[in-house]
Amino acid sequence: MRMWRIVLLALGGLRRTPLRVGLTALGVAIGSSALVSMVAFALGIQQQTETPFRTLGLINVIRVMPKGDKDSAHGPVLDDAALERMAALPGVEAAYPDFRIRGIKISRGGKSASVLAIGLPRDVPLPGTAEEVLVAGDYFTPGTRPEAILGRQAAHDLGFDAPTDAIGSTVKLETSGLSPGDAKTFTFERRDIAVTVVGVYDLPNLMAGRMSGAVLLPVDLMRQIPGIRSEPALERLMLGRDPTKAGYSEATVRVRRHTDVAPVDRAVQAMGFRTRTLLSRLEEMRTFFVFMDVLLAAIGAVALVVAGLGIINTLLISVLERYQEIGICKAIGASDGDLFVLFLTEAGAIGLIGGLCGLALGRGVCWVLETAINAYARTHGITAHLDVFAFPLWLLTATMLFSVAISVLAGVYPALRAARTDPIKALRRE
Amino acid sequence: MSSAEGHEPFIETRGLTREYRVGPSIVRALGEVSLNVRRGEFLAVLGVSGSGKSTLLHLLGGLDTPTAGSVLIAGRDLATFTSYERTVYRRTVVGFVFQSYYLVPSLTAEENVALALTFQGTFGREGRRRADEAIRRVGLERRARHRPSQLSGGEQQRVALARAIVHTPPLLLADEPTGNLDRATAQEVISLVQQIHRDLGTTVVMVTHDLEMASRVADRVVHLRDGHLVEEGAVLA
Repeated sequence: MRMWRIVLLALGGLRRTPLRVGLTALGVAIGSSALVSMVAFALGIQQQTETPFRTLGLINVIRVMPKGDKDSAHGPVLDDAALERMAALPGVEAAYPDFRIRGIKISRGGKSASVLAIGLPRDVPLPGTAEEVLVAGDYFTPGTRPEAILGRQAAHDLGFDAPTDAIGSTVKLETSGLSPGDAKTFTFERRDIAVTVVGVYDLPNLMAGRMSGAVLLPVDLMRQIPGIRSEPALERLMLGRDPTKAGYSEATVRVRRHTDVAPVDRAVQAMGFRTRTLLSRLEEMRTFFVFMDVLLAAIGAVALVVAGLGIINTLLISVLERYQEIGICKAIGASDGDLFVLFLTEAGAIGLIGGLCGLALGRGVCWVLETAINAYARTHGITAHLDVFAFPLWLLTATMLFSVAISVLAGVYPALRAARTDPIKALRRE
Repeated sequence: MSSAEGHEPFIETRGLTREYRVGPSIVRALGEVSLNVRRGEFLAVLGVSGSGKSTLLHLLGGLDTPTAGSVLIAGRDLATFTSYERTVYRRTVVGFVFQSYYLVPSLTAEENVALALTFQGTFGREGRRRADEAIRRVGLERRARHRPSQLSGGEQQRVALARAIVHTPPLLLADEPTGNLDRATAQEVISLVQQIHRDLGTTVVMVTHDLEMASRVADRVVHLRDGHLVEEGAVLA
């Protein structure tokens, strides 16, 4: 309580030299704003990079391939039986063949587009936040009805001005390809499939341009597209094996939690398949980001340390100016500890004021930069808003604590000088 | 103060010596001063400037430590006090008044008085009450909200006096309290000191170079010359 009173006394003392205190606090503000905006930038870029993967649930995905294309004889076949075994592994949500067809023609009335078709399982809902990518309609319904989810660009190309206009309409998929018949025959087949549009999706941020032109189809529908199985079958045929027993060239295993990725990945590899996970790539990326965080934080911290020197200077001048006053305080009963606390509080208060202003300044500067970057991005055709800076609460708190800590640390020496002042010498100086 | 206590020495100095190193030479500010002050006594220490008067007061007030000899306060040697005990001693036993007032310029009269209480751990309503009381005692209630720069010398010294007695210390140490004041103002301040001495029973040790004034107000006058006590005698009041 007594100390609290002395703290109040110190705060009152700050008002005496507002300009000097203000300039010193400004130093701290610039330091902490540099720190906060640099780290916010590193975090923002990281988020910008990772968010699309998270949104699409790609983190929880393991790509599975048969071992070596040329040697497929040696490894097990990636067929439905293998997928069923994978689906039975603990933590696995779904295992399905990865069907992708480039340049499939999709048409409605007189309009058409050539798109990438991607197969997704009908019975497993989209992972968590991926719901957000659906800008209109819903995910596939259970059953076998031929359905499609269009990318926003594809919907636009088919003449739907608003994504919602597309929902419920029927579009035509024009497909063709070689279907394996019995042992060594393939038949060329053309088939038009009428599908009902149930949803329209759009991808966030950076991925938007490249991927929003695709069409998502249920896996069961993809199986019916002619030519979908021809590639692995032809490959087996060339190796002199039974093409009817061909598996898939690629499959996807989706796990429930990202912690399931590693054990499932190992189990699938143990079955004799090659795998690729985004998580491992992401981990590598994260190492880079940690490095970047530290580097940028270090640059910001240097600015704050320089501000700390400013505090030392300001307080030393203050101790000298108030030399006599310190002597008076001692004569009327202030202890060394009281004076130490008095000056340390002033330092801490400068740090607090500076830190708060720094956060505001940092956010302001980042806002200006972000606006400028987005304006620039628009001139280059990127319409999505880019969140270049990220300000998580922990960053704001840590910056605050750091700037107060640096300031208090800077106050130690001046405060010690004040505490150790000889009252006789101080009083004698007129 | 009861009369029984009055015969015990409240302050006792034995061979009190203080030397300062000034460059290569050593200056003796105070040499072997032995002095007794009774509880409730008003002692005036007379001497020209440089005679060691202030040094004596600083030693009595625990602001300075002697080179040799000792200061005993109610039988306890100040030299045996820890640094913190000395602070508590200054905080509770001693009130200081200086020739140059030594008020904190940025604080009002009231705040200056309350500042001493803050260090003693008294604040809030009780602090304000006691600060007001001390200010009323020196007759400055109308100037309580003024800063030192807005007060005359006499008024500033009265604020300093209020600050020195706000915690009702048993010992008041006054270092040339009228040195910077004209005669009439000096008389006002000295009357206040006398009044405090009488009303509160405060032991007063006052340093001055004004023999006439000292003889008039003090129970006893001692002379300091070149750091030595040259003569001690009771003065007729």
